[in-house]
Amino acid sequence: MQQYKMEMNDKLILVENLALSYWHNNVGVHSVKDLLTLRKNPFTLKPILHDVSFELDKGQSLGILGRNGSGKSTLLRAIAGIIKPQKGRVVVNGSIAPILAIGAGLELELTGFENIKLLLALYGQSKNMAEQINDICIFSELSHEVLNMAAKCYSAGMLARLAFSISLANDCDILIIDEVLAVGDKGFQEKCVQKIYELKSLGKTIIFVSHFPDEVEKLCDKALLLENGTIINQGNVNTICNQYRQLF
Amino acid sequence: MQIIARLYALSKRNVILRYKNSLVGFLWGFIKPLIYLLIFIVIFSAQFITVSNYVLYVTSGLIFWFFFSNLTAQSVQNIISSAGLIKAVRMPLILLPLSELLSELFNFLLTLMVYFVVMYWFGMQYSARLFLLLPCIVLFSCFSFGITLVLSSVNVFLRDVGILWNTIQPALFYLTPIAYPASMIPERFVFIIRYNPIYYFIQLVRTVLYESSALSWTIWIQCATLAMLSLSVGLFLFHKLKNQFIAAI
Ligand SMILES: Nc1ncnc2c1ncn2[C@@H]1O[C@H](COP(=O)(O)OP(=O)(O)OP(=O)(O)O)[C@@H](O)[C@H]1O
Ligand SMILES: [Mg+2]
Repeated sequence: MQQYKMEMNDKLILVENLALSYWHNNVGVHSVKDLLTLRKNPFTLKPILHDVSFELDKGQSLGILGRNGSGKSTLLRAIAGIIKPQKGRVVVNGSIAPILAIGAGLELELTGFENIKLLLALYGQSKNMAEQINDICIFSELSHEVLNMAAKCYSAGMLARLAFSISLANDCDILIIDEVLAVGDKGFQEKCVQKIYELKSLGKTIIFVSHFPDEVEKLCDKALLLENGTIINQGNVNTICNQYRQLF
Repeated sequence: MQIIARLYALSKRNVILRYKNSLVGFLWGFIKPLIYLLIFIVIFSAQFITVSNYVLYVTSGLIFWFFFSNLTAQSVQNIISSAGLIKAVRMPLILLPLSELLSELFNFLLTLMVYFVVMYWFGMQYSARLFLLLPCIVLFSCFSFGITLVLSSVNVFLRDVGILWNTIQPALFYLTPIAYPASMIPERFVFIIRYNPIYYFIQLVRTVLYESSALSWTIWIQCATLAMLSLSVGLFLFHKLKNQFIAAI
């Protein structure tokens, strides 16, 4: 993916004819016979995304809308380079912050502090570790007592706070948000939205998956509507959001 | 540089998770072989008086066996239990089993240090020959890592592999001459040992720790071949399967 970096300078993200399928496991207790007789391949390919193409300029923000199971989270993972596409290509001209999803990457058996250290090391650090941990403590508003607790004892909102703060700890060009804002309390939601606007005004790109078209309209310059793994429409935010509202 | 930081963080996670809420923590690495050793002394030592210095014979085999058995048993579940990380973080997936190897090696080296003292009482001689343990450990690690890669990647798609492995492990233990001398096996069953790769590594360790006869090249070459074979099969399978891990976890 990185090798295409030189090719394009103005585009931040370029996705071309992306196709992605998952192995679907047919192995079950009732299919041992099939396995033995080899009449059926135990694994079939189940297409999740097909022929997805879009591009995004620097500083633009993209909203992704679609029904449950239309492939939004999968598309985000492909953009972030977590899943390799079978066909097509994904070119990204910048650093991507870790995907923000509810409890993403948090190890429930570890304490808050242990999680912070683990994820910072895995994501790669751009700053001094102690400084970053301090930032995370301040932004998440979680007390030291809470951060010394195992993450499995956290409430959903506390997990979201921790995940959100860790993802924001690094300076990155692209921020990917997967419908995470819904669980925080009012104070934290406002703080997050404010932070997102602040990052946007700094020229960062935000890719935003949400089921609230109003939020998407406020935040994004562009949107696309996914249905069954393909883009059925993309372009102006208001048009797309209206189309999304009419789906239901 | 970043790879090292990531490996360190992941290995640390493994160690923390393994000994979470455990009273003696690391000492388990030492206690497990000790318990087996005591059992064997009680049951078998009268039986195998033909083995000179039975205690050292068993100990040298046991500590290496437990390295292998702990590593494989833990890492069978490794990919599955890291589902959260795999879905959220972009990283070379090979780091996950590799970190499992590192944390088990760390555990093993601590255990080995304790047994270095203990084995002196059992009649082990301190000599320059003990440095040969280092290449032994490297070869055995490569071999075990290969097995780990196969188990952890196939287990993602067919969970039977994990269950099967946990079931046959005790059998494998008794099919390896750890508690008894290899010479005890009847002629017609010798092939079982000949096809048991772990036997060669235990044998190799014993030439360093237990025997004092001249070293032979054949066993080193056999072990190196086995290690390379296992490692290449493991790496091949892992790279074939890794892109689809996310579909099955
Ligand atoms: N591990 C998997 N194996 C097979 N299919 C999967 C797997 N994970 C997801 N899918 C399928 O991929 C499709 C897209 O899933 P995805 O999580 O991307 O949906 P989404 O658009 O994010 O939905 P939501 O709005 O509920 O978050 C779904 O049809 C789902 O069934
Ligand atoms: Mg989703």
